[in-house]
Amino acid sequence: MLEVKQLKKSFGDLIAVDQLDFTIKKGEIMGIIGQNGSGKTTTFRLILDLLQPDTGTVLWNGKPFRKKEYDSVGYLPEERGLYPKVSIEDQIVYFAQLRGKKKKEIIPLIDEWMEKFQVKGKRTDKVKTLSKGNQQKVQLICTLIHEPELIILDEPFSGLDPVNAGLLELGIKEAKEKGASIIFSSHNMNNVEEICDSLIMLRDGEMILKGSVQSIREQFGRTKIFLETPITAEVIKQMPGILSIRKTIDGLLELTLEDEKYGKAIFDLVTKDGYIQTFSQQPPTLEEIFKRKAGEIHA
Amino acid sequence: MRKFWIIAKEVYKKNVKSLGFITMILSPIILVAIIGVIIYLISNTDIFSQDDTIAIVSGDESVRSALVETEFTAEKDLSITTEAEAREALAAEEIVGYIMASEENNTLTAEFVHTSRNNSQAVAILSSQLTAYQNALRGGALGLSAEEVNQLFEPARVSESVVRVEDGEIIDQDMTEYAIKLGSAYAVGIGIFIFIMTYAGIIAEEVASEKGTRIMEVILSSVSSTTHFFGKLVGVLFICFTQIGLYIILGIIGYQVFKDAEFVQQYIGGIDIGEILQSLLGFTLIFFIIGVFMYVVLAAFFGSLVTKIEDVNKAVTPIVFIAMIGFYGGLFAFGAPDQPLVLILSYIPLFTPFIMPFRIAAETVTQSGVWISILASGVFAVLLTFVFIEQVVLFKLAVCESFCNSGEDSKPDPYQRKDDPGSCPLSVYKSLKKIVKSCQWKHYRSDSICNFT
Repeated sequence: MLEVKQLKKSFGDLIAVDQLDFTIKKGEIMGIIGQNGSGKTTTFRLILDLLQPDTGTVLWNGKPFRKKEYDSVGYLPEERGLYPKVSIEDQIVYFAQLRGKKKKEIIPLIDEWMEKFQVKGKRTDKVKTLSKGNQQKVQLICTLIHEPELIILDEPFSGLDPVNAGLLELGIKEAKEKGASIIFSSHNMNNVEEICDSLIMLRDGEMILKGSVQSIREQFGRTKIFLETPITAEVIKQMPGILSIRKTIDGLLELTLEDEKYGKAIFDLVTKDGYIQTFSQQPPTLEEIFKRKAGEIHA
Repeated sequence: MRKFWIIAKEVYKKNVKSLGFITMILSPIILVAIIGVIIYLISNTDIFSQDDTIAIVSGDESVRSALVETEFTAEKDLSITTEAEAREALAAEEIVGYIMASEENNTLTAEFVHTSRNNSQAVAILSSQLTAYQNALRGGALGLSAEEVNQLFEPARVSESVVRVEDGEIIDQDMTEYAIKLGSAYAVGIGIFIFIMTYAGIIAEEVASEKGTRIMEVILSSVSSTTHFFGKLVGVLFICFTQIGLYIILGIIGYQVFKDAEFVQQYIGGIDIGEILQSLLGFTLIFFIIGVFMYVVLAAFFGSLVTKIEDVNKAVTPIVFIAMIGFYGGLFAFGAPDQPLVLILSYIPLFTPFIMPFRIAAETVTQSGVWISILASGVFAVLLTFVFIEQVVLFKLAVCESFCNSGEDSKPDPYQRKDDPGSCPLSVYKSLKKIVKSCQWKHYRSDSICNFT
């Protein structure tokens, strides 16, 4: 279990991370979202003791996180790096050895992992001969093959196509099932919604959102309605509490409400003649929340 | 400890397997071989090759027969007896030259006509031969026997012996020993310089490449920076030992194979190899190891200041300059081991390995003086290592800087000047300043050095 308490780090006058507080239990995945420069990478470096916090503590299984815990860590930095002139196998073995594994423990696992992530190439191929995506997958293997208990992934999905992103999602879920505590940052809200148990959003180092994806969305109220009805937009617009109406690509009407309480009157209006195929009142998507929250910076 | 050896092994394996290592091993051998071949060719090149022919022309048959018996490198064409024939043969390029000698009143005159431009050797032979003949002629005219002529021209016996004065006593100086010591001091100077250049480059590249590719972050989340640094250092030193070991093996094989060869005997026949090896061990070896170690640590440090592998050469430049000063200091000491400047430089750690061996050879330093300089260098090397390591500046700096300079997802370094490309001498200077400050302010963790400007 990873506990981060009241973490603060500043560089000169600039506060990179402020009053960070969260807990990731065994077998839980937490996502960190936030704009560029909001303090995500700094948070990871603070957790890993690569940077020293001004105040606050990081606890791993109830004890301060120290260097001897490094063997149970899998860390994928945001800027990827492998030794270009070394073979895939040597690379994986080297990093696993640095995490305290023995060479003979790792060698038999390599084929299986390369298959799992569909790495194109032989294990004797030099890293520099691989495409960027494949290099990234090799680095993911380096991050995960030693079965770490704490997995930190900085932008793991960036640069992966949907198929490979799917493979990575599977890999992360598998690690979760084995009981790892996982923390990752992403700009892709779909990935976050898909696999995160909980989520925090940072803005200028401050934690402005925290909780499960669903609970965060619910905080903003069910102010979206998607519906399919023969009644025209002009008629619906007469109803109170409607901020905007828009037609989506698949022919649905998307209504944005001032408050979720106006939903019932709209439901009554569109169902007065009985059956309709779609009426869905939803909270805003994570992406909308992200944009809205990020936009508040400039307000 | 296990991780330490893993890192050392990785560095070793990666470098020894590379093509660069093989060329590094071979290039000095090839260089020496080329120089050897050139020296061999030059020393064996006479004005004439053995296929060349010269003619000897003389009106006096006894002079002619004396010259015919003389050994020149060229063949002699005895069928030619007149100048006209000789000129004709020369024009037809059948011969490369001819000697025309004559005798009058016991005085010999000779002219050597030839096509070669460099002829001093043949002319010297000719001259000494004719002089001896002339002496005999004149001696005969004076009624002297051959014996008496020889006595007349016997040179005086001059011998030389070098001594040194120590505490008012005159002590004989063994010149071979001096020459051997001087020679090994010279060899060590050149050796250290070559090794420093090579290994400074290797370790600086090791450090910079990991920093440049951000592998550093993964590694630093696996092992402590101290383990990492020492692992690298030891790995590189092992590569160095491998190279020395290979040279020793090659040297032994080469010596066994060629020791009886004529040209080898000609050059090193008179030298006692055992004595040279003896002088190479001992102090010389200590200076060599300390020298390489100091410069490698320094190189690792400078390598950690740059973020891109392309900038390694720039970062290593200061080390090259320091080593160059040491090297030329050594050459200066070679010529003037008593100079006060040499005396001072020989105790400055980074210069000691270059200069002290020359002072030892010239015996201008006492045994305790040598030990003091070794101690000073040793302490300096250890301090150099630990100042950077204990402060964990070396690699934390990398992480810190990558925070300051890295891509989009980090905050910009508020103190980073826009016009600062990040690896120019200015930034090296700035980094050094940061380090000095962080050393002064021990309570600051090294990672907070980003705060300094």
